[in-house]
Amino acid sequence: MMMDSKKRKWLLLGGLIACLLLVPMFVTDIYILSILNVMVVYSILCLGLNLILGFTGLLSLGHAAFYGIGAYTTAILMTRYDFGFVAAFCASAVLALVAGIVIAIPTRKVRGDYFCLITLAFGEIFRLVATSWIEFTRGAMGIVRIPMPKIFGIAIVTEAHFYYLGLGILIVTYLTIKAITDTRYGRAFIAIREDELAADTMGINTPIYKIMAFSIGCLFAGMAGSFLAVYQTVVTPSNFRLEESCLMIIMVIVGGMGRNLLAPLAGVIVMTVATEVFRSTAEYRMLIIGLIMILVLLLRPQGIFGSSSFKS
Amino acid sequence: MLGEVILVGIMVGAVYALVTVGYSMVYGILKLMNFAHGDIYIFGTLICLTLLTKYNLHPVLAILIAAIAGGGLAFLVELLVYRRLRAAQHRLISMITALGAAYVIQNISELNWGNQVMSFPSIVKSKFITLVGLQISVTHIITLFVAVLCIAVLILFMRYSRYGKAIDCVSQDMDAASLMGIPINRVVSSVYFMGGMLGVIGGVLYSSAYNAVSLGMGFRGTLIAFTAAVIGGIGSLGGALLGGMILGLSENLIGVYISSSYRDPLMYSLLIIMLLVKPTGILGSSDQAKV
Repeated sequence: MMMDSKKRKWLLLGGLIACLLLVPMFVTDIYILSILNVMVVYSILCLGLNLILGFTGLLSLGHAAFYGIGAYTTAILMTRYDFGFVAAFCASAVLALVAGIVIAIPTRKVRGDYFCLITLAFGEIFRLVATSWIEFTRGAMGIVRIPMPKIFGIAIVTEAHFYYLGLGILIVTYLTIKAITDTRYGRAFIAIREDELAADTMGINTPIYKIMAFSIGCLFAGMAGSFLAVYQTVVTPSNFRLEESCLMIIMVIVGGMGRNLLAPLAGVIVMTVATEVFRSTAEYRMLIIGLIMILVLLLRPQGIFGSSSFKS
Repeated sequence: MLGEVILVGIMVGAVYALVTVGYSMVYGILKLMNFAHGDIYIFGTLICLTLLTKYNLHPVLAILIAAIAGGGLAFLVELLVYRRLRAAQHRLISMITALGAAYVIQNISELNWGNQVMSFPSIVKSKFITLVGLQISVTHIITLFVAVLCIAVLILFMRYSRYGKAIDCVSQDMDAASLMGIPINRVVSSVYFMGGMLGVIGGVLYSSAYNAVSLGMGFRGTLIAFTAAVIGGIGSLGGALLGGMILGLSENLIGVYISSSYRDPLMYSLLIIMLLVKPTGILGSSDQAKV
C-alpha cells in the first residue's frame, strides 16, 4: 500500500513534468510564454525560500540579494570575461551559496526577529552598493547586453528555448530539495521551525542545520538570478529591491509553506497572474500585495494548499 | 566645520530619537517589529505638508492635527490587523502582516501625494546666528528644542502618570498585568497612538529642517528606528534616546567625512554588527529563552 501511493506520486510528478515540457508545442504566444518564464524564475526562488522559511522557520528578508548576487555574477562574467553560460551559471550558484554561508554562520544563534533584521539589512546593503559602486556594477544603469546563452553548442534564443532552460533548472531544484527534505534533514528543519530549543535538546545540531537550510536556499536563488541575467539580457539594482523579497515571501505563504513542495508554486502562479491581471492598475500594485499579505495571514495562515501551519 | 557637523548630528539624533521611541515602546510591549512605523509617520508628515501649503494653517496647529492623524492611523492598524494576531500565532506571522500593512499605507500615500521628493516649507524663518564661533541655523536649534521637549514630556509621563506605569507593567508581563486589572487592549492602543504621534512630530521636524519629504523616507525611517533601537537597547526608553543620538551623529560624520553614498550601507552594517555582537544593545538587559 505504502509503495503504491509512493509510485502514484512519482507517476503524477512525471506526468506533470511531461505536461510542462509539452506546453511550448501548444502555446506559441510570446506574451504567455514570457509570463511562464517569469513564473519559472519565481518558482525556483520560492522553492529555495520555502526551505528557509517554510521548513526551518527563518524569515529571510534578503532573498533578493542572493538572487542579485547570482544575476550580477553571470552578467559580469559573461560580458567582461567572456565566460560561457554554463561556467557563469555554476559560478553564480557557488557564489550565492558562499554568500549564504557567510551570512548564515555568524547568525546561526541569533534570535528569529534579529535574524530577519540582519537579512533585511544585508539585502539593503547589497542593493545600495550595487547602485553606488558604479565602476563595478555600472550603478542604476545596470549591466546591459548580456549575450545569449549557449549550452553545449545549442543557442538559447527564443522564449520557448528559455522556457526549457528554466524548466530544467526548476526540475533540478525541485528534485534536489525533495531529496533533501525527504530525509532526516527535512525533519530536523521542521523540528527547528516548531521549537528550536526543544530541537536542540533532542540532540539536533540546530546551528548546522540552520546554516545548511539557509545556504542551500541561497544557492537556488543564485541559479534563478543567473537565469534572469541571460533571459532579461540586462541586470539593474531595482530587480533586487526589498519588494522582491517580500513578493517571494508572499508567494510562499499564499501557496502554503512546508512539506508540500508544490504548494509554494501555486502561490507563484496566483501572484504572477494577479500581477498581470492588475497590470493596468499598476499604481495599486503594492496596495494589492499588502492586502493579500494581511488577508491571507489573518484568514488562512497555512496558505491555499499548505499542509502544516506554524504552531501556536 | 567639525563643530557644526556635530551640532547638526545632535539635532538629527534628537529627531531620530523621537522616531525611535515610538517604535521601541511597541516592541517593548508586544515584541513586534512594526514595519509600518516609518510609513505611518511619513503619512502624517505628508498630511502636515498639505495642511501647511494648501490650507495655510498655523504650523503648530498643522503639526498637532498631523500628529493626531498619524497616531490615529497607528491605532487603526493595531486595531484592525495586529490585534487579531497578537495571542496565538507564531511571531513571524505578525511580522509579515506588519510588512503588508506597511505596503498598504505606503501605496495609499503614493496615490495621494506621488513618490517624488517634495519641498517642505520651513516652519520657522531660517536665519543663522553665531554662537561661540559656530554658524548655527535657528531651524536646527528649534528642532532640537522641540524634540528634547517631547522626549522630556514622554519621560515624565512614563515615570509619574498611572498610564505610564501601566505601560511598564504590560511590557514586563502581559498576563500578570491583565490579572491585576490593567486593560491590556487600551494600553496597547495608546502606545501605538503615542508612537505614531511622536513619529509624525519627528518626521515633520526632520522634513522642515531639510526642506524635503519623500515616500522613500518612510522605509528608511523604519530602518533607522530599528537600528537606533537595537544600538541603544531595544524596548528601553533611554536606549532609544541614546541609539538615536549615536545614529544621528555617526550618520552626519560619515556623510561629511567619508562618503554620502555609502552612508546608508555603513549604517546598516552597524545594525548587523550590533545584532551579532551585542543584540541587547548598550542599555538593554539580556533576556534568556525560557523553556
